[in-house]
Amino acid sequence: MADLGDPVHPALLRRREREGLSRQQRLAYWMLFPVLGVVFCIVSYPLVVALMQSVTATRGGEFVGLLNYQAVLENPLLYASLKQTAIYAAIVLPLEIVLGLLLALLVHRTVRSGWLRLVLYLLAITPIVIPPVAVGVIFRLIYAPNYGVLNHLLIMAGWIEGEINWLGQPYTAMLAVASVDVWQWTPFVYLVLFAGLQTVPRESVEAAQVDGATPWSQFWHIELPYLRPLLLLILFFRLADVLRVFDHIFVLTGGGPGTTTQLLSLYLYRIAFKFFDTGEAAALAVMVMVGISLLYSFITRLLPLERD
Amino acid sequence: MRARTLLWQVVAIPVLVAFGLVYLFPLYWLVATSLKGQGELLGQIVPTLVPQAPTLEAFHTVLVEKGGWKLLRNSVLVCGATVLTTLILGLLITYPITRLPVSRRVRVGVLNWALSLRFLPPVAVVVPYFGVVRTLQLYDNPLALVFIYTLFNLPFSIWMLKSFLAEVPLELEEAALVDGATRPVSFFRVVLPLIAPGLLAAGIIIFAFAWSEFLFALILTQTPSAQTFPVGVQSFVTQFNLIWNEMAAAGLIALLVPLVLMILARRYVLAGLTFGVIREK
Repeated sequence: MADLGDPVHPALLRRREREGLSRQQRLAYWMLFPVLGVVFCIVSYPLVVALMQSVTATRGGEFVGLLNYQAVLENPLLYASLKQTAIYAAIVLPLEIVLGLLLALLVHRTVRSGWLRLVLYLLAITPIVIPPVAVGVIFRLIYAPNYGVLNHLLIMAGWIEGEINWLGQPYTAMLAVASVDVWQWTPFVYLVLFAGLQTVPRESVEAAQVDGATPWSQFWHIELPYLRPLLLLILFFRLADVLRVFDHIFVLTGGGPGTTTQLLSLYLYRIAFKFFDTGEAAALAVMVMVGISLLYSFITRLLPLERD
Repeated sequence: MRARTLLWQVVAIPVLVAFGLVYLFPLYWLVATSLKGQGELLGQIVPTLVPQAPTLEAFHTVLVEKGGWKLLRNSVLVCGATVLTTLILGLLITYPITRLPVSRRVRVGVLNWALSLRFLPPVAVVVPYFGVVRTLQLYDNPLALVFIYTLFNLPFSIWMLKSFLAEVPLELEEAALVDGATRPVSFFRVVLPLIAPGLLAAGIIIFAFAWSEFLFALILTQTPSAQTFPVGVQSFVTQFNLIWNEMAAAGLIALLVPLVLMILARRYVLAGLTFGVIREK
């Protein structure tokens, strides 16, 4: 039988398919590249500006090589701010993760009613969505001298005699500022881990309970493996936020007393917009960006994100 | 088994209630303070825990006498424009990488690049931007803020839109194309209606994020004609003579907008914050 029904040569058909595909591909790249190109330029241009600013003198504008970088590295305030950032992270991250995990487990094991879970969900997203400036205001009303209500509550309870200037003393100021972060972000950890706990198959939990597993071994052997990628994710987002934290500290202490709550971002702000030392600020900004890219490339491989 | 659950519940209830009280008290104190009159604040050495004569005086002062309205208007305009530009750019980037045959390297590259922007601290960028904005004569101009907010919300919107677009079956659009529809028509008639709820949620979340932004607004604006509301809030906190009820009222207004928006978009908030890893059912 002759092949009358198909006058098109198979090779031609294949070519047409290929052309069809490549037309779609062309469309894709025509859409993608102009937009990406513009965004890429908008992102990169300031980096180039920063690089140029970092090798020119702030006053005069002549080329000074790496002098600005040297100035940054010789300033003891840089190391103080790095130390404050590390202390802040060391207080905030473990506390948020442990508290969030405990809460998630507690609610997961005990609260069965969907209505109550919705209430808890809404309560938990509340602090997260409050603008950090407003969070600063809220805690100003808690910690401030005179009107700050914490002192009055503690005096009423008989725990302290006179007022404590929470925001005015080095140790308490750091604790106050960190407590605000814990208040705002523990619910985030709770929400992510609680959602993670919902994905643990009920059968394996029940099987373990039938075998007489203690709550602890149930958590350690069955639930924790499901939470591990999420814990990494939390660490990633919280670390990114700790490195950029600015607003609530700016409102609460402005980096003081002295420089005891001056984290890296506040220090950078101060060089650039209080001392107006553009060269040094740009050099520091470049160093921060390089450091953060390194940190990012290290941490990003471990993340459970769907990239396809 | 049942006894164990009961035991857990006995432990859980007091712990949760205590936690809830500690969590809500700061918010209560903000609301209570904002409702106090000037007389009540000056009259007492120890502040009253409950406002004795609740009044909206402080809100009136903040919005009308101290010009908060203007900053609110600026905020709404800036955030609205940011939402529009971010969603359009986001769609232009995510449509090809999810629905057209781009190579895997390009797709993964775009997504990774968006993710890396999330890690960039704004304060490191603000120094060069300040220079750029001044040379473009956009200092104290809301446009500069729209520009930058778009940039900082783009990573999040790319990841979120990507997951919405990927859920629309390719066959639907192909069917429309075979029937002779052009690509734009098939996009607007077939794809857009299906992703509309997600798009709306993404828009709401972008609005709330842009609303909360403070650092760029502080540095790139100077006068009430361009300042956004968070900058106004800050001015109540750093002035020499603190007026507690006005500060509280300003803070409350600033937080009400994103709070209401996020409750509306509650199903998507967590997905947004985690770049689509966590999905609410």
